[in-house]
Amino acid sequence: MSLLQEADRNHLINEFQALTEPVKLVMFTQEMECQYCRETRMISEEVAELSDKISVEVYDFVRDQEIVEHYNIDKIPAIAIVRGGQKPKDYGIRFYGIPSGYEFSSLIENIMMVSRGESGLSAETKAWAANLQEPVHLQVFVTPTCPYCPQAVIMAHQLAMESEFITADMVEAIEFPQLSNKYQVHGVPRTVINESTHMEGAAPEPILLGKLQEAVA
Amino acid sequence: MSFDLNLGLGMSNLGGGEDNNYDVVIIGGGPAGASAAIYTARADLRTLVIDKGLTAGALGITGKISNYPGVPGPVTGAELVEIMRAQAESFGAKFITDKVVGVDISGERKMVMAGTGAFYTKVIMLATGSMGRTSVVKGEEEFLGRGVSYCATCDGAFFRNQTVAVIGNNDEALEEALFLTKFAAKVHLVVPTPELKAREALAAEATTHPKIEVQLGTRLKEIVGNGQVAGVRVHPRGGDEQTLPVTGAFVYLQGGKPITDYLMAQLETEPNGCLVVDKEMQTTVPGVFAIGDLLCTHIKQAVIAAADGVIAAVAADKYIHGRKAVQTDWK
Repeated sequence: MSLLQEADRNHLINEFQALTEPVKLVMFTQEMECQYCRETRMISEEVAELSDKISVEVYDFVRDQEIVEHYNIDKIPAIAIVRGGQKPKDYGIRFYGIPSGYEFSSLIENIMMVSRGESGLSAETKAWAANLQEPVHLQVFVTPTCPYCPQAVIMAHQLAMESEFITADMVEAIEFPQLSNKYQVHGVPRTVINESTHMEGAAPEPILLGKLQEAVA
Repeated sequence: MSFDLNLGLGMSNLGGGEDNNYDVVIIGGGPAGASAAIYTARADLRTLVIDKGLTAGALGITGKISNYPGVPGPVTGAELVEIMRAQAESFGAKFITDKVVGVDISGERKMVMAGTGAFYTKVIMLATGSMGRTSVVKGEEEFLGRGVSYCATCDGAFFRNQTVAVIGNNDEALEEALFLTKFAAKVHLVVPTPELKAREALAAEATTHPKIEVQLGTRLKEIVGNGQVAGVRVHPRGGDEQTLPVTGAFVYLQGGKPITDYLMAQLETEPNGCLVVDKEMQTTVPGVFAIGDLLCTHIKQAVIAAADGVIAAVAADKYIHGRKAVQTDWK
């Protein structure tokens, strides 16, 4: 049974006409599929069916160690969204947990953005990212029922596009309770920057930039 | 896990389909928004009004009005708003009940993100009024994300089998309290006013719910805890202060400040936080207008808000049709 409804499929086929560069969804699951691993794989496969610009590769978290390490995946279900084609590029964009509910729109927005190759961030933020010389890891905790969360997820992923040093994860808080506990997540979206700094809510770009500057100062 | 795997929810957020494209999206359905909608819809502009609910704004909760020109009254604010909406709908405007969570005004095609989906439009009119909060209570900022929340649908799942408090008296507070009953063991509804200011049916559902305990006429004084929320200190009218032991505090209080949080600082404001508009009610971003009580230099009267809406509607029509000069007449 298909997860995407007919009307939604048709709508997406239309939206994906705008895709330029090929996009690859690198999905990680395992043989005994974890909770929501199966659904996450199905979402990836069904979305990839809707455009010849989108492909999907499914890997086993236990067996395919080399690939797991290459993409630095530490939990499943996971999706890395990378540019495919002649000039493949991994921007460090990751989804951990199922991109359902409001996060499905984050997934689609990311596919469009990676294909476009343009983050859409301000010149000031781009300049900051371009000068970055140390790793920055953003983890955006979300729930699928949170309408404010995609804004925070998309902005983190936009940042990942702008620097080799930035990686950005969506983390579905309910699926990874141990992480939610570790980072004391009791409200979403919550963005954790480099383990040390955190931010509540979907903040405007200048405020996030300020937090990032604080975190790497 | 309890969340809905329904992908339809996410899909509807994509927007961009034919049904989600408008000429004018108006955020707020009070006298400013509804009046603007009457004019834009009548000018054949595809018009959508997104409103949190009939009793969400200042007029909606006003008891008796006898000085609105042409409506001798007395009518309730909600009745007056309903008359305006029906008039706008008769010209083709569409009204939906939803909460706007963000806007993207960076391009010519602007986007309004609401709970149920994204809407695309040439013109946005901001008519969200001025019932935003002016101050926070002690402990609120300290415990934000540590038990203090403004979104039960986002955060309810973190409070499974726990006792929480919802503070507020309006539709939104009651809806969120009812949503929290799916997760929480008990919900204290702390109502600052002697009575609820919400739809009757909703009020009845909330006050009779076995998991909800209502405390009318009770002010929130402080959110207390140690790293995490451990309780809310409240003061019932005529009674002694008490601390309710809760792990979550969901705050839906209102005040007298313009509601602009969903704009995410994308528009120029004056030092006092008020939006900058020109004489046609246009903000510093072309195609984005602000009307009604949202403009803080205003006389807060329904008829003034309505007039603002009409001025903006005329300007929006000219903007959409690419006319340079904005004229004051309407033909």
